[in-house]
Amino acid sequence: MGLQRRWWRPSVVCLAVGLVAGWSGCVGSIGDSPPDPTITDPSAKKTAPVEAHMVRLTAPELRNTYRALLGEPLVVPDLPQDDQLYGFVSLSAATKTVAPVEAEMYEDAAYAVLDQVWVDPVRRNALIKCAPTDLGEPCIRTFLHDFTSRAWRRPATEAEVEALLQLAQQIASSLGDGEGLRFAVAAVLQSPHFLFRVATGERDPDSGFMRFDSWEMAARLSYLITDSPPDEELRKAAAADELLDPEAVRAHARRLIDTPEARAALVRFFRDFMNIGRLDDLDKNLELFPMVSDTLGVSMRRELERLFENVVFEKEGDFRQLFTTRDTYVNGDLAPIYGIEGIEGPDFVPVTLPDDGKRGGLLTTPGFLALNAHKTESSPTHRGRFVRISLLCQDVPPPPPGVDTTLPAPSGGPKTLRQRLAAHAEDPACAPCHQQMDPIGFGFEHYDAVGAWRDTEHDLPIDASGDLDGVAFDGGVELGTLMAELPRVGNCIARRFYQHATTHLDERSERAYVDELVEGFVQSDFDFKALVVEMVVNGGFRYALPQEEE
Amino acid sequence: MTMPWQPPRITRRSRPRAMRPSRRMFLRGLAAGGAITVGLPLFEMLLNDHGDAMANGEELPTRFGLWFFGNGVRLNSWTPTQGADWQVPNDGQLAALVPHKEYVSVCSGLDVKTPRHPHHSGMSAVCSGGPHLKVDDVRDTIVSTMKYPSVDQIAADYFFEQQPTPYRSLEAAVTRFRGTDEGTSFQYLSHNGSVNGETNINPSEQSPQRFFDRLFGNETADPLIKQARASVLNAVSDQITDLQPKLSAGDRQRLAQHLDSIADLERRLGAPSPSCTKPDAPGDFPDVGGDEQMAEKNAAMSDLMALALACNLTRSFSIMFSTCGSGAVMWPAGATDGQHYMNHTEPSPWTKQHESVKFTMSQLAYFLDRLKQTPEGDGHLLDQCSILVCTEHTEGWTHSQDDMPILICGKGGGRLRGNVHQRDDGGNVSKAGMTALRGAGLPLTTFGHEQGAVTSGMTDLEV
Repeated sequence: MGLQRRWWRPSVVCLAVGLVAGWSGCVGSIGDSPPDPTITDPSAKKTAPVEAHMVRLTAPELRNTYRALLGEPLVVPDLPQDDQLYGFVSLSAATKTVAPVEAEMYEDAAYAVLDQVWVDPVRRNALIKCAPTDLGEPCIRTFLHDFTSRAWRRPATEAEVEALLQLAQQIASSLGDGEGLRFAVAAVLQSPHFLFRVATGERDPDSGFMRFDSWEMAARLSYLITDSPPDEELRKAAAADELLDPEAVRAHARRLIDTPEARAALVRFFRDFMNIGRLDDLDKNLELFPMVSDTLGVSMRRELERLFENVVFEKEGDFRQLFTTRDTYVNGDLAPIYGIEGIEGPDFVPVTLPDDGKRGGLLTTPGFLALNAHKTESSPTHRGRFVRISLLCQDVPPPPPGVDTTLPAPSGGPKTLRQRLAAHAEDPACAPCHQQMDPIGFGFEHYDAVGAWRDTEHDLPIDASGDLDGVAFDGGVELGTLMAELPRVGNCIARRFYQHATTHLDERSERAYVDELVEGFVQSDFDFKALVVEMVVNGGFRYALPQEEE
Repeated sequence: MTMPWQPPRITRRSRPRAMRPSRRMFLRGLAAGGAITVGLPLFEMLLNDHGDAMANGEELPTRFGLWFFGNGVRLNSWTPTQGADWQVPNDGQLAALVPHKEYVSVCSGLDVKTPRHPHHSGMSAVCSGGPHLKVDDVRDTIVSTMKYPSVDQIAADYFFEQQPTPYRSLEAAVTRFRGTDEGTSFQYLSHNGSVNGETNINPSEQSPQRFFDRLFGNETADPLIKQARASVLNAVSDQITDLQPKLSAGDRQRLAQHLDSIADLERRLGAPSPSCTKPDAPGDFPDVGGDEQMAEKNAAMSDLMALALACNLTRSFSIMFSTCGSGAVMWPAGATDGQHYMNHTEPSPWTKQHESVKFTMSQLAYFLDRLKQTPEGDGHLLDQCSILVCTEHTEGWTHSQDDMPILICGKGGGRLRGNVHQRDDGGNVSKAGMTALRGAGLPLTTFGHEQGAVTSGMTDLEV
């Protein structure tokens, strides 16, 4: 596979070691931890992918798949809810089963979408390519084969088509031919081959691993980049078995990434990466924050997503601009928080924020700040924790059981939150971990619980000086500049995309795969589209470990 | 053990016993026994002339419930006096339950014995009698699921093997907040256990309107259509069993649950439609002035669940009033921030938490009252219920898991005494789950797993 064994980029090794010294063992890491003392020679660990696993279609994927199969217009009813695991819907989809209530919903959905086609004989016959008046017609068998192959993202076998045809005929005997066929198609749409992305790979003699075949690669590629099943061109390439060739896979990835579907799909990655789906349920105290409207949370999320789209798809620039850019999008919900006058209504207006040291980059957006805050007040701990865990790919343990986490009762007049949190730094039970979060989060204290700027809290001046692993900074803008420069941040983004794309947390054996992805990201000057393209030809994406023999 | 009930007309081929979900295995703690009763799900017309038993002499069916609220209590105003006829301390958190105290027993002194972790361990220990399971093992910031099935599913399996109901179990939730970053234990209550790290949950419905639509919406009654749908599901089952051998052990396990879920649907299509009285549609409950309409949603969900139990749509249910580590803002109790955060910031004497628990217990009281207002036989539904009421902590600010706050409500068809407070200092928290399940008629002689395994329950509560 041409992968070179390597430990880690040297600059990061230095950083990691330097950090560990001051950490009192509190902060762990996700995958790229400082060397595990139990492994004396890291290079002894053989590079290998993980076992193949099924991934349940997410609600957006399922909606797109129904539409690709049955055309528009199509009203798709309620679908089972997507959850997040380690922040990502994709990771949750890789561990989920189908609960009874979810099987009910899948059944309802299958009939609901098929009814919309069958109710209109013209639309139905266009789909089938003949009138379903005689299930013995060759056209019916051809339809079942082609439809099932598209629905299951691989050629249906003769036996599978035969079983479906028999099902259609059995039901046709009581309900008629057209209905018989409708029910058989309902079986296609409730199948595990449809509801799950099933991929097992084929034995690859060169690597000794399982290699995803062309059909499997087509589906992996298209669902990752577009949340949709393979399009006509990908299906042709799969039928011609062209997708074992990384160059062909790259070419299709470059083509797909410029489609509108890719924008939506990659925005969903960013939404999980920043955990901003939760903004839709924004819950703030209306007495303290009268500017909060029902749509504010969604507007906050959209601003961040527009920022991502702008940097990735419009500027096609360095992803790390997200941490510094003063170009953003503001609508009537957000304008009062930014203190901008003259912007009203739901539509977003491009805005370049003033160079006054108050705003710049996603860490100073109302969305990031409000999400990582409480209903009435800010939260240096949550904001610092998000930076530590999600942007630096490091870990902070929860408070140990039995430790009283109550802050001392305020006494002696009003205090700022920062002053109240001083207990975290003083109490030896709290300090080791809180010192990894609070000093970062203090840098955001100029922003209140909805992300609006403030100079004082309880009439006391704000102190927004912060510290990121020994580097002092003052305020969110300075932190953004610092973050943009940190190699660790770029590494973390690439790693999180690797986890999202391969739908599991990377294991130690995959270090070389992740290294290679990070390297490519750095070499592309942090071009996110290039990261996506390199991801789909990465060994961790194209190969799987053979199943354990039982 | 009784023979598994077979759905009519539908032949199930090739379903290897070994691939059935793990929860089946957890019935092995049951003593042998239990009559085979295969018949109609509805029984009101099947009562004997006295209304105190079924016409065929069988006793009235018991129901099991799991009622969960997050973030613990404030212990000093929770715990009532010990022994029979417990008394609530002045301004005690159980005050709202006093009108129902003949049906409410209290367990105290019980500890979580499984390896501890804030929130996670208490949730799994109380609800499943076993440890939590970390999903993947690379982050200290733990993401967990339940390793073993929650008690509602243990009861569901037992009831189902005796006599299937249209739904194996029903799951409802009241408050909206869900954790997104700590695994399924922070989002869901009812779990089926995890054999290979898969997440196998029974999602709870949080919209009263959708719950209504599901239970009382217009299902087709055309037998030919139902038969066709069942045939489709049978074909899907065949696809699943054909696929399983090609997959990893973990994926086979995931598909085993899929297969079970399909079988549930298929069986329901083959059974007579239940004839429930259709209630009025509850509608939606949008926030008012930014405040979640908790009491209104709780009332709507409680009404629907009571009705579903009354017409025997299921015998096992769970209601998640709030999640483990819930961030719901308990504004009716004067809270202004999410409960979890409040627990970590409110100074002693934690008055808002105290008021929050009082409010939560008033919501439980509403549900118990609904059950009491629902006649069944010559009594009411609460006579037939055994409901485990629990939370994942003793107190949120310390994440303490000693002296866990637990109630067991209902008379379990005469198996539970009610109005007893048993204290068992240092006892295993699984003892409460065991008694709650025994109260619903499960002849358990052991319960729980690993450090949660026990061989006796809270016997003072049982008749």
